[in-house]
Amino acid sequence: MRVNLFRELACAADARVEVRGLTKHYGGVAAVDDVSFTVEPGSVTGFLGPNGAGKTTTLRMILGLVRPDRGRATIGGAGYADLARPLEIVGAALDSTGFHPGRTGLDHLRIYAAAAALPSSRAATVLGVVGLGDAGNRKVGGYSLGMRQRLALATALLGDPAVLILDEPANGLDPEGIVWLRRFLKEYAEAGRSVLVSSHVLTEMQQLVDRVVILHRGRLIREATLAELSGDHGDLETAFFELTTNQEIRP
Amino acid sequence: MRPLIISEVHKLFSTRLWLWLLLASMALAALYASLLIGFSDDPDTMTAPLDSPAGQQTLFAVASGGANTLVAVLAAIGVTGEFRHRTATATFLATPRRRRVVLAKLLVYVAAGVGYAIACLVVVASIAWPWLSAKGIDLGLLGEGLPSTYAGVVADVTLFAMVGVGLGALVRNQVATVVGLLVYRFVAEPMVTAVPALSDWTAYLPGSASAALTQVSLSTQNYLDPWLGGLVLTGYGLLLVIVGARVSVGRDVT
Repeated sequence: MRVNLFRELACAADARVEVRGLTKHYGGVAAVDDVSFTVEPGSVTGFLGPNGAGKTTTLRMILGLVRPDRGRATIGGAGYADLARPLEIVGAALDSTGFHPGRTGLDHLRIYAAAAALPSSRAATVLGVVGLGDAGNRKVGGYSLGMRQRLALATALLGDPAVLILDEPANGLDPEGIVWLRRFLKEYAEAGRSVLVSSHVLTEMQQLVDRVVILHRGRLIREATLAELSGDHGDLETAFFELTTNQEIRP
Repeated sequence: MRPLIISEVHKLFSTRLWLWLLLASMALAALYASLLIGFSDDPDTMTAPLDSPAGQQTLFAVASGGANTLVAVLAAIGVTGEFRHRTATATFLATPRRRRVVLAKLLVYVAAGVGYAIACLVVVASIAWPWLSAKGIDLGLLGEGLPSTYAGVVADVTLFAMVGVGLGALVRNQVATVVGLLVYRFVAEPMVTAVPALSDWTAYLPGSASAALTQVSLSTQNYLDPWLGGLVLTGYGLLLVIVGARVSVGRDVT
């Protein structure tokens, strides 16, 4: 990891993600219920909640993959589908399984570089950034979970985006990889970009995030800076359990 | 559209499926052509004599016999693979306007169909020419009616590519799409077309419309005119692509 890997962002407003009243029902159950929050440029926002809280559905609605029943999400003021060159605004790594096992890592990246009209050389560049430079010509079917996570992150980085949206990116990473990821995301945010990262590994988040958005049973129960939350509850873990077990006491 | 087409071409060629299905198509074309020539002297043969234009047209028409279904399978696997391997997420993140992805796939698989058809025609020609020469039959590659047969073969295979893209987009499930396609082609439609009383109707089914393009089939089915067969098959393909793109491709990717 080198310093100054990322260019400073010319216009920070491009990197602001605003979520307003997002709602999604599945079979009569509200998976996401009237959720609003903002991801500020220059910070890492932790998106927390127990399994099934609606984190993944919310992220997919922000990215136009799932159509909300109500509400809207914008990136730099525009909906995802209205972005002219989306991969250069938003990079997303949503799961570590979205690869054809018979394709090499490099081919996977070249396919999406081509679709976004990015130079083919970006594929090798981002592969080097995530530390998979030597595995590029191997088929993804032979990758470990940690390698797939890195490949997913490399895909997100193709367009050198202003916003990074990552769903459980630390899953399957070894301790060394987790330390690397933490430094990487911090530097990314310090360059004036936005990072939204979901996780249930709270101790990891404590050391990474500047702000937290906590979701429980599809509803937003807290949006705060880490400092505010720690002031109220002590550490993140305590805060998380107090907030998710005592839902009556809502801020 | 250009970046998307490059992306789809890269998807097609970065796995080996296109090659295996191409080799299978060529092998089937070789097999059909060999059987046809090998049994051409048999007194019970249904085929016109190979020294006649009709016989030579039949001979070249078998080029699409395997390729049409296998190109449809290739296209269907290409489309449904996005959902099976969950690459649809990355694909639709790069191209949020999803119908453009369907259009790009359509163009790429139609082009692949042209390639398959030409390769299979070459296989038939390279078997037929020396073999018929040995039998003392002169095969003019631009002989009577043969250019129309070539055109029919190319149209047949490319239109099936379109059907494969449309069916895959509509169904999304890879196993269901491929099994459904094969069962329809080799079981369902042949059973229905075997009923002579239904002949006026079954002529409009996809397989019969396909046979109408080259005017060759081994059943007793009536054909439409080639142009009408092509139109009917185009209709099926377009209908599947449009319904697939409008109804199915827009659904949530979870």
